Amino acid sequence: MGLLDRLSALLGLKKKEVNVLCLGLDNSGKTTIINKLKPSNAQSQDIVPTIGFSIEKFKSSSLSFTVFDMSGQGRYRNLWEHYYKDGQAIIFVIDSSDRLRMVVAKEELDTLLSHPDIKHRRIPILFFANKMDLRDAVTSIKVSQLLCLENIKDKPWHICASDAIKGEGLQEGVDWLQDQIQAVKT
Amino acid sequence: MAAASSSDSDSCRAESNEANSKWLDAHYDPLANIHTFSACLALADLHGDGEYKLVVGDLGPGGQQPRLKVLKGPTVLTESPLPALPAAAATFLMDQHEPRTPALALASGPCVYVYKNLRPYFKFSLPQLPPNPLEQDLWNQAKEDRIDPLTLKEMLEGIREKAEVPLSVQSLRFLQLELSEMEAFVNQHKSKAIRRQTVITTMSTLKKSLAEEDAVSCLVLGTESKELLVLDSEAFTILAKMSLPSVPVFLEVSGQFDVEFRLAAACRNGNIYVLRRDSKRPKYCIELSAQPVGLVRVHKVLVVGSTQDSLHGFTHKGKRLWTVQMPAAILTMNLLEQCSRGLQAVMAGLANREVRIYHDKTLLNVIRTPDAVTSLCFGRYGREDNTLIMTTRGGGLIIKILKRTAVFVEGGGEVGPPPAQATKLNVPRKTRLYVDQTLREREAGTAMHRTFQTDLYLLRLRAARAYVQALESSLSPVSATAREPLKLHAVVQGLGPTFKLTLHLQNTSTARPILGLLICFLYNEALYALPRAFFKVLDPSP
Repeated sequence: MGLLDRLSALLGLKKKEVNVLCLGLDNSGKTTIINKLKPSNAQSQDIVPTIGFSIEKFKSSSLSFTVFDMSGQGRYRNLWEHYYKDGQAIIFVIDSSDRLRMVVAKEELDTLLSHPDIKHRRIPILFFANKMDLRDAVTSIKVSQLLCLENIKDKPWHICASDAIKGEGLQEGVDWLQDQIQAVKT
Repeated sequence: MAAASSSDSDSCRAESNEANSKWLDAHYDPLANIHTFSACLALADLHGDGEYKLVVGDLGPGGQQPRLKVLKGPTVLTESPLPALPAAAATFLMDQHEPRTPALALASGPCVYVYKNLRPYFKFSLPQLPPNPLEQDLWNQAKEDRIDPLTLKEMLEGIREKAEVPLSVQSLRFLQLELSEMEAFVNQHKSKAIRRQTVITTMSTLKKSLAEEDAVSCLVLGTESKELLVLDSEAFTILAKMSLPSVPVFLEVSGQFDVEFRLAAACRNGNIYVLRRDSKRPKYCIELSAQPVGLVRVHKVLVVGSTQDSLHGFTHKGKRLWTVQMPAAILTMNLLEQCSRGLQAVMAGLANREVRIYHDKTLLNVIRTPDAVTSLCFGRYGREDNTLIMTTRGGGLIIKILKRTAVFVEGGGEVGPPPAQATKLNVPRKTRLYVDQTLREREAGTAMHRTFQTDLYLLRLRAARAYVQALESSLSPVSATAREPLKLHAVVQGLGPTFKLTLHLQNTSTARPILGLLICFLYNEALYALPRAFFKVLDPSP
């Protein structure tokens, strides 16, 4: 770290950088959520299924996030574990209207939590019960029951109901994530 | 016994216990009320949005109300009544137009109903079969009132027995009627032209010219009139017509119509016929020892399930490759194709509430279900590639998703001897008493032998004496001589002062009645009172 950097960090001008992994099944709304968190002039209009992964950046009030937006398609899911080491926080997105694949999401979450790179690290996990605007969506409480989130004992976690198209619920989740990261740092 | 127990140990090995199961239980609804077969299940991206739907030709709870159901996820999306019971459902791409939404074909009665975007789009009816000219002639005469219903009935019955062309539905219904109803029926129907209609029994799809996933397909229909028809999917004209010696019930198709194709049709006479391009008649015939209950093609092997609870593998030329015995009756069969790993396997739903997955001869996996599974379908459903959809005998719906990390391993542990070999034989133990006894026998063997022989002589003498005595006083209940074949025994029933005495008298000769038999009871008159102590036997026939 150079002198200038240290100075700016001290003055609070330059924000701290955090690497975040954004995971979830395909079509759950990961890219849309990341897109909505970016400043309005940087948002893209068309969201297409992610191929492999992409790296996005957004800022909250006191942190600068670098997000690895992973593809959730079955054939790309084995890429996830290569980035577990770099993640300081995890955003796990769930499609609340897809009851059928909730078990698949639970299975992926279980393999994620039992991975050696994740298992013994106390990293915060933020869940988005996304697509709350849809008619057949289940509540965030129901989602946390279906995913058995109460079994996560050694990591701080939080679940937010969200509607990524309108942007509802996203800010609440990011604020929680920011608090958690700062609590870990200090 | 050995075969059964070894297959049991197989199932124990391949059985997926709860902890490391290969399947995720996505959904189970025992009250889904879906009654159907594997042939009436199809998966397709009906709206072109990447979300695959399940099409079910539902028979209704008692086979009464046929309905077309489309399922999205665990719930029914749309439901519409059908005119007749569905025979098969298939999805196929009709044309090259964008967007490439597949059409849904539902075979029911003599028609194929084609739906596009879940709206009725086209109804294809099978061409009518030519009626018997003699029958036609008779009905023409009836039209001009030249013959009365009775002669018409006689002549029609004559045609039915002799002619090779079967009668029309109208004549068959006429033959069933009572005399009083005939007149009205003839008056009502004589002006109508007679028609002979056939019914679709099975349906499948065949790629037209390209083997790709999104290529245009043709429909292949099997009919009750022992024919296979290939339909053009755009114009609904008949491209090819093939005849079979029996009624096809299961159809398996491979290849492309324009290049080379093979049709394997399992028929009601228990044979499988293999047809190729440009052959109007079957080229190869596979004869099974029992009726087929399912037909699945795995790469180049035709897997047939028979009613004798076994799976057979055949080549396309009809050579038997292997046979696997199942522990229970096979209810349904279908193909499991896992594209990501290039695995093709056969699923068989058994009556003992198991679904077994076989790759060639090896058992890969066993799924236990709460009820016997009557239809199976594996493929992309919703957004998940490897989904297994099962419906149960009671109308329940089970959806399972194959784990991304699951790998089907062939075999597993080594096959040991059957467990029956490990059980110990029940040999009785010998005690001190036995050893002492044998010692005594060794020392005084001669005396023992002599004494025993003397006793045996005495025993024989006494038995002969008693026997002669019995013969003299006729005490034996079974007559010994061949001249008087009789058997008699008495049974006493009842407590208290009165009881019932039943005499069972039986003539044991092959074909000789005994006449003039009399029965007389001897008893102490001071103790018992018999109303009839002496009577004649009525029916002495053998």
